[in-house]
Amino acid sequence: MRPDKDRPSAEWIASLRRKFPTEPQIDQILTRKMERRAGPGYAPVSLDALKQGLHSLIGSQIQSRFSITNTRWLSGGASKIQMAFDLDWERPGVGRETTGMVLRMEPAESIVATSRVREFQLIRAVRDIVPVPPVFWFDANGEHLPYPALVYGMMPGVTKPSNTNTRVSGLGTLLAPQMREKLAPQFIEHLARIHSLDYRTADLTEFTAPAPGLQCAEWGVNWWERVWEEDSDEDIPMIRLAAAWLRRNMPVMDRPSIVHSDYRVGNFLFTEDDMRITALLDWELGRIGDRHQDIAWTTSRTFGGLDADGKTFLVCNLISEPAFYDAYEAAAGLPIDRRTVKWYQVYNNFSIAVLVYATGYRVARNGKTHQDVLVSWLMGIGGVVLEQMREQIEGGC
Amino acid sequence: MQMRPQIQINSMIKAMTDVVIPAIDSSNQLALEQSKLVVGMLDLMAQQLPFQFRFDRDELKRLATVAQKLEAIADADPKFGGPRRQLQASRISASALLDQCAVDPAQLEGSIRELREMIGAVVTAIGSGDNAKQIAQGEACILDMTREQTLRDRALLVAQGWELDPGALPPIDELLKEAE
Repeated sequence: MRPDKDRPSAEWIASLRRKFPTEPQIDQILTRKMERRAGPGYAPVSLDALKQGLHSLIGSQIQSRFSITNTRWLSGGASKIQMAFDLDWERPGVGRETTGMVLRMEPAESIVATSRVREFQLIRAVRDIVPVPPVFWFDANGEHLPYPALVYGMMPGVTKPSNTNTRVSGLGTLLAPQMREKLAPQFIEHLARIHSLDYRTADLTEFTAPAPGLQCAEWGVNWWERVWEEDSDEDIPMIRLAAAWLRRNMPVMDRPSIVHSDYRVGNFLFTEDDMRITALLDWELGRIGDRHQDIAWTTSRTFGGLDADGKTFLVCNLISEPAFYDAYEAAAGLPIDRRTVKWYQVYNNFSIAVLVYATGYRVARNGKTHQDVLVSWLMGIGGVVLEQMREQIEGGC
Repeated sequence: MQMRPQIQINSMIKAMTDVVIPAIDSSNQLALEQSKLVVGMLDLMAQQLPFQFRFDRDELKRLATVAQKLEAIADADPKFGGPRRQLQASRISASALLDQCAVDPAQLEGSIRELREMIGAVVTAIGSGDNAKQIAQGEACILDMTREQTLRDRALLVAQGWELDPGALPPIDELLKEAE
């Protein structure tokens, strides 16, 4: 009998957990998502209600007097609700100050199910080696706020030049040559530093490193194939083909690294006066895994564009692909295996296709997010992603 | 084609209701009224869409019936000869079209979904087996189908701006004409 995906039974959830073993914490996140699936859709939350929840969260963390002002909505981010605010407080080590902050809260069900605690830990883990926003507090289970949330510091900068038009989510951001020259080296250097960090020295209790060998790739394929089973409506034979292909061609992980998993233009802030990257954002999909996943993601056709000559592909509209590889290898001191990059290109497109076609459909249909219209809009990229995946598989790896 | 009008319309209504309308200055009555009309119109479209094809088919069927009756009435009088002949030609054409429109679009969509699912199951079974020849043949079959289908999916949604080189895509009407 066909499962009711909008009201999943405990037996069906258990069967998916058995069929698709993955990183234990990812299993918990997906299981929680499914256990809450039949619950109500997303109901609009007022700024005042969020302010109250924040007051409760911050009050549980600090003892001194504080006040929250200037609450306002932020746009951007298809997956999380974001509210900016100012906190007047006694900042440890600094003293009394007003700090600009951002509340990042999940909707009833997100286009990507992730954990605020993992996001918190990952940002803390890399804060000494790359620019990231300071993270302050999290509400892991929505005890203070309507849904689980994270509070981090507001950083200066923009995700795209002020005088440009781009598509949603920062995709297709156009950058002038003089901007690229300054941003590209930093962009690559930061990625190299993330991958070179010894993750074992960081407090990453919410992560499990895959065992050497194939487990990293296998956990990844299981993760997204499980999400496909959980969320999809209309089947797509190409997704089935890709899943089988990925399993038959899994690469061995040579060295576990922290993987950002969404490292691209649109996910970092830079200041326009000096072209300095001030913060790497959106760590929610990060895991301990194979650095080639990030390299394949960053070099994806989806996030880049053609140079003025109409031929040269620019990685994230910043730098040509050969130059990107050379600069990364020099900065990280780690080799890039082109076969593994190709495998992860298929893997990444597989995950995007699952997110936009399956989860995007499911959450928008059930009215689960604050941005159903954006999530529905993003489904339109699915054809481009499937076509890339087809070409990549046909090309072999 | 997962991105169908029903889900698009519902998400637009939600965006208008939850975000846009509450943000409109209450003194701007014109903007408030227009926004509510947009929601009402979208809601009406959502209700209309599933019935649109059957509604048109029903109307054409009744028009054809009336046309036949009028042909009989006009049959005896020579002064109606020209219009009667034109009406008869149109009615015959309409009846032929009605025969071709026997299937409801929802049935068509249902059949697409069913076949996708069945093909997917076989692809999974072949792909997880160990017969290299079968795997290669099955993959070639699906990769070819995907090439043609994604071409149409992308052409249909080209206005969204996802394409690196949108000019390289054939227009959707040309692609659909090929199949017809």
